[in-house]
Amino acid sequence: MTSLLNSRIIRFLVGIWLPLLLIWWWWTASADSVDPFFPPLSAIWEQFKFNWIWQLFPVHVVPSLRNLFVGYSIGIIAGVVFGALLGSSRRVSRYFEPLIDFFRSIPPVATVPVFILLFGLDANMRIAAVAVAATFPTLLSTMQGFRGTDSTLLDTGNVFRLTKFQMMWKLRIPSASPLIWSGFQVSLQIAFVVTIASEILGSGFGIGAFTVMSSDSFMILDAWTGVLLMGLIGFALNVIFDIIEKRSLHWYFGQKKLTR
Amino acid sequence: MRAPAGLISAVVAIVIWQAATTIWPLANSSVPTATATLARLWEMLFMSETWASIWLTVQMALLGFLIALAIAIPFGVLIGLSRFALISTKFTFDFFKVIPPIVIIPITILVFGPTQQMGVFLVVFALVFALAIQTAYGVRDTDPVLIETMKCYGLGRTRQVLYARLPAAAPFIAVGIRISVSAAMIVAVVAGLVGGAPGLGRDLLLSQTSGENAQTFAIVLILGILGLAISRLVVLIQRRVIFWSPS
Repeated sequence: MTSLLNSRIIRFLVGIWLPLLLIWWWWTASADSVDPFFPPLSAIWEQFKFNWIWQLFPVHVVPSLRNLFVGYSIGIIAGVVFGALLGSSRRVSRYFEPLIDFFRSIPPVATVPVFILLFGLDANMRIAAVAVAATFPTLLSTMQGFRGTDSTLLDTGNVFRLTKFQMMWKLRIPSASPLIWSGFQVSLQIAFVVTIASEILGSGFGIGAFTVMSSDSFMILDAWTGVLLMGLIGFALNVIFDIIEKRSLHWYFGQKKLTR
Repeated sequence: MRAPAGLISAVVAIVIWQAATTIWPLANSSVPTATATLARLWEMLFMSETWASIWLTVQMALLGFLIALAIAIPFGVLIGLSRFALISTKFTFDFFKVIPPIVIIPITILVFGPTQQMGVFLVVFALVFALAIQTAYGVRDTDPVLIETMKCYGLGRTRQVLYARLPAAAPFIAVGIRISVSAAMIVAVVAGLVGGAPGLGRDLLLSQTSGENAQTFAIVLILGILGLAISRLVVLIQRRVIFWSPS
């Protein structure tokens, strides 16, 4: 059995039976459901196709994803820049670290009301809330990554008389990049949550707003399609992220495999 | 050295906040001044409602955390014992692990209503999968030589789990717990803010929608202080409990 599990195809088949069983169970168990909150999966599926392929897609999904990506991009760029600055200088970071510690202890979603006060209810508020929430994880792990640069590496760079710029691009950033990427991943997950929260609290458009409005007005099928769509998007974002990370850090994963 | 630096930066941050809201660029905006917020925070510290809300939030987080732990550790050990079980559950668990609980709030609010139970359910949902995966990996990480040795001495599976696998998994579980406790607080707040469960989250929503801006900021400050205190506390406790593992 154990040797069989080393084959990729068998691993895939073993991995897939439980999800398939669960979906099948949900489908059959809910088939004759009259519970108003748990309609038949087949009905949810019909409604899902009706809503999201592609009738409501441009109205709700496109703005959600746009806010997410704009806010996320701003957030991780800010995170890397500030993280690199703070990670390179202990003198500066000593003053900022307590503040950062405090701000990241605030639940990201709880900052949404603050952004509503600052920006109102429109898209700018959503983007700002997402950007700020996405900044912290990347900032912290970038800072940690820059601090952890192997000192032998830096000494070697000095011996070869690398310029500051070369040290940055050839040594510091590559050696910090595995940590920076893990910061990107946490940032993405938080950015997604804040995107939805900003829509629910900001009301109007977006998948989160659509789903909560449906639920509030007892349009149960619509609410379920929204929940399913949000779940699928959340999962897809993680999968896409993993693929991009593996590509960008292939040298690092190769190294890790060798040392094992 | 660290405390003074923290104090200086906190004072500077408050001064900048005060200047921004009285002189430029946020003067006469809806953003409250630092002094108004801190005054409100001070008042709130003496109100029993504040402490009741804090307790309700902590209670949801704690209860959800304990339930998640009670489910995840036995389950994690079980699936960690067999490679087949681990691979079978991997995809399903990974799927639910990355789904943030806010996604299912529209359904839970229908089933539970805006109650504490909903908050507890969301916390459990948020933690249980990640904790189970973490435990399973820890159990798998047990030194195989140790297990072989135990087998040689005729020790049964139960003892292998109790004396070798669980201690080996403990550092993994500890990491999971450290992340989980903070996550539990966050989810308890989200359950209030987005789902209307009682506690600080709902207070925040109510004060924001009724335009009590100083109170809104004060609650955000309370949440920050609370989060900081809890994460410090967890690190402190862990150092004592899992003394055999570094970090």
